[in-house]
Amino acid sequence: MNYTNQIQEIATKLFAEGKIDVFVGYRQNLFDENQVPCLVTDPADISKLVFTEKSVFNLSNYLKFEHTRNKRVGLVVKGCDSRALNLMLTESQVKRENVYIVGICCEGVLNEKGEKAQNCVECVMPDAVVYDELLGSPTGKREYLVNADIKELAQKGLTERADYFENVFENCIRCNACRHSCPLCYCAKCCIDQETSSLFHGANTSSSAMHALMTWTLHLAGRCVDCRNCEKACPSHLPLHLLHKQNEMVIYENFQQHLAGMEKDDRGAFYKYSMSDPDDFIM
Amino acid sequence: METDVKVSNTQVVSAENPDIQAHADWQPVIMGILCNWCSYAGSDLTGTSRIQYPPNIRIIRVPCSSRVDPWFIIKSLQTTADGVLISGCHPGDCHYISGNYFARRRFLVTKKLLNFIGYHENRVQFSWVSAAEGPKFAKVVDKVTTDIKKLGPLHRFKKENL
Amino acid sequence: MSFSIFETDKAGLEKFYTEVISKNETYAPVEAFGKFDYKRVSSLSECMPDSPIQTTMSVKPLFFPKSAKVMKFREDSSGTTLSDTDQDHLAGKRVVLGVKHCDARGLQVLDAVYKWDYIDLDYQKRRENTIIVSTRCDKADTNCFCTSLDYDVENSDAHDVKIVNGLDGKIYIKAVTEKGDILVKSSSIQHPASAAAPEEISKHYKSFEASFRLKMNYTEINEKLQKQFDSIAFEEVSKNCISCNTCAFICPTCHCFKISDEKVRDNGVRYKSYDSCNNGYFTLMAGGHNPRSVKYRRWRQRSMHKFVYYKERFGVNLCVGCGHCAISCPVNISIFDVVNHVANSPAVLQNA
Repeated sequence: MNYTNQIQEIATKLFAEGKIDVFVGYRQNLFDENQVPCLVTDPADISKLVFTEKSVFNLSNYLKFEHTRNKRVGLVVKGCDSRALNLMLTESQVKRENVYIVGICCEGVLNEKGEKAQNCVECVMPDAVVYDELLGSPTGKREYLVNADIKELAQKGLTERADYFENVFENCIRCNACRHSCPLCYCAKCCIDQETSSLFHGANTSSSAMHALMTWTLHLAGRCVDCRNCEKACPSHLPLHLLHKQNEMVIYENFQQHLAGMEKDDRGAFYKYSMSDPDDFIM
Repeated sequence: METDVKVSNTQVVSAENPDIQAHADWQPVIMGILCNWCSYAGSDLTGTSRIQYPPNIRIIRVPCSSRVDPWFIIKSLQTTADGVLISGCHPGDCHYISGNYFARRRFLVTKKLLNFIGYHENRVQFSWVSAAEGPKFAKVVDKVTTDIKKLGPLHRFKKENL
Repeated sequence: MSFSIFETDKAGLEKFYTEVISKNETYAPVEAFGKFDYKRVSSLSECMPDSPIQTTMSVKPLFFPKSAKVMKFREDSSGTTLSDTDQDHLAGKRVVLGVKHCDARGLQVLDAVYKWDYIDLDYQKRRENTIIVSTRCDKADTNCFCTSLDYDVENSDAHDVKIVNGLDGKIYIKAVTEKGDILVKSSSIQHPASAAAPEEISKHYKSFEASFRLKMNYTEINEKLQKQFDSIAFEEVSKNCISCNTCAFICPTCHCFKISDEKVRDNGVRYKSYDSCNNGYFTLMAGGHNPRSVKYRRWRQRSMHKFVYYKERFGVNLCVGCGHCAISCPVNISIFDVVNHVANSPAVLQNA
């Protein structure tokens, strides 16, 4: 999968026509094989832009920051990235006329081991759902697959699962990289950081990690697009996808097969309801 | 598995930590979050009708069941509560028209996620109790208290300095 | 004063580790979720003291933990009473295995600030009671540059015991301090190193130093950076940053902290936890003023603190060139890149 040339052409054209102030894409990292985000403001830097199966980071995240706010932005998005962008558009975080979207029909990206990433194997929508220009040939929506790790964990007993997650929370260092790398975590001041009210805890204990991570997961429920920015950002390599995929599965199975960001004007599973939503668990 | 809870005459074991036993006079602490217009009024009716229900529940009033952010549940379980009960208006009767429709989506997802990370599914329970259902409220609190008593004290993921 | 140097092989080294673990409270790199961190171990099978993969967090959490109780308090009708916390479980006599050069150096660098205007007694006790044993760091990783930063790896006493590869499969266990000497002498590996040992050890360090891809002229960088305070280059290099707190938490020498009180009913505990100057709210003050609300200012502060200010005040560089930040950064920003770029860019004035 290589769209390097096409993306460089598009960026050149957009700058030449004066349509954008900044182009957000990927460039090769200097020291290793990874690709890192690249915010191009000078057309002379366009030659740094690349796009291959190592272009992993969800670039919609950069629409949260001061470099792109109130500017005209050109952006490269794969399937999952575009779903996050779609949600950001509906949730009024980005103006549609301010962003020129280069959508990619993604064939899957590689993980650190060089294999196809798990979320790509289980991907429901590899093609960009919102775009001004689409690169590649669309292959359409795929069958929803329950995450393999969730299936495995669900088979284990309660105590075993609790032990596993206690270990996960113990290893969390409350760095908040997961939040900062998630495109949909754009709250100016996160509720978890409101320490003066003592509702959340500033100390980096394992129970405060549980509280923070669970709250974060539930605030993202119905909005998470499984781009795995959070998991890759986590310095402790916590399996954050377990929490999000669990929510995604419950929402898919119970709320009319809702998947975040697929429809235009989607605002997440918790912004709508149906008369047929299950409530047999409620007395 | 999940229903494998040991209950003996005098001692109760924590469902999530089988090696923890309750002390002899342990009483569960249950956090109750009730919506103002239906459930809170309903619980008031229970009282005025002189219907007894277990005193383990501590009630907090919110305007609507949809006010309940999932982290209220998490925080309660993380501090002193052994169980949580959330109660709202019946679907179709919400004072704010549709609050409880949104809420019941949130409730399902929260309950399943908490169970997934290792809380017993009966730790968090929900009910629809209307302002006229005094007896029902008593029955609901009774059921929740009995369930939590069987599950034993909650020891997982608790704040350290308790 | 010269301390013991013993000679052994791979099997002997494993025996040494096993003995240390069985006789001492020992911490070593343990795997969890595909990464390594220092945890308490009770057998060699639980850990990898010679792991080639760098630990995620450095050895810093054993001396400055991510969360530590400072005191307890109780507020009730009779007023407020304070009390000491329980015994510090990190303050006992212990040994840490598998510490890389950079991490050990990081502790030496931190020592300066912890006995500066206020002597941090907890930290001092933990330092005194810990014996640091090196790992066999024999070549640099892609992001390492420890040798560029006032650090004579061969002759440093950052470790108490150094484990060095010799020729032909030989391994030297070299005590560098008195504490280290006691540990080494207490093992059953008592074969003294031959006369060839000092030369072989020296050769090892020469080849170690030659393995570095990244080198910087630190003195030059330090001088140039001092002129770049108003440079627009800080804005360029910090574009990709997402202001998560990872780099400061991971860093072996970052020491910023925050205090938070947690209370349940009448009883409370005061905690000291990690904080990061890269956080957007780090400089937020009670009136609402936030001098470093803009990202490039935070990067300027971080780079200058690491490479200029700390050296001015304490005579040692705060960055130890370990590369932990570049590896863990979600967008792979390397401080090596940052300071080089800023130092070498033409000084251009910022407009605010």
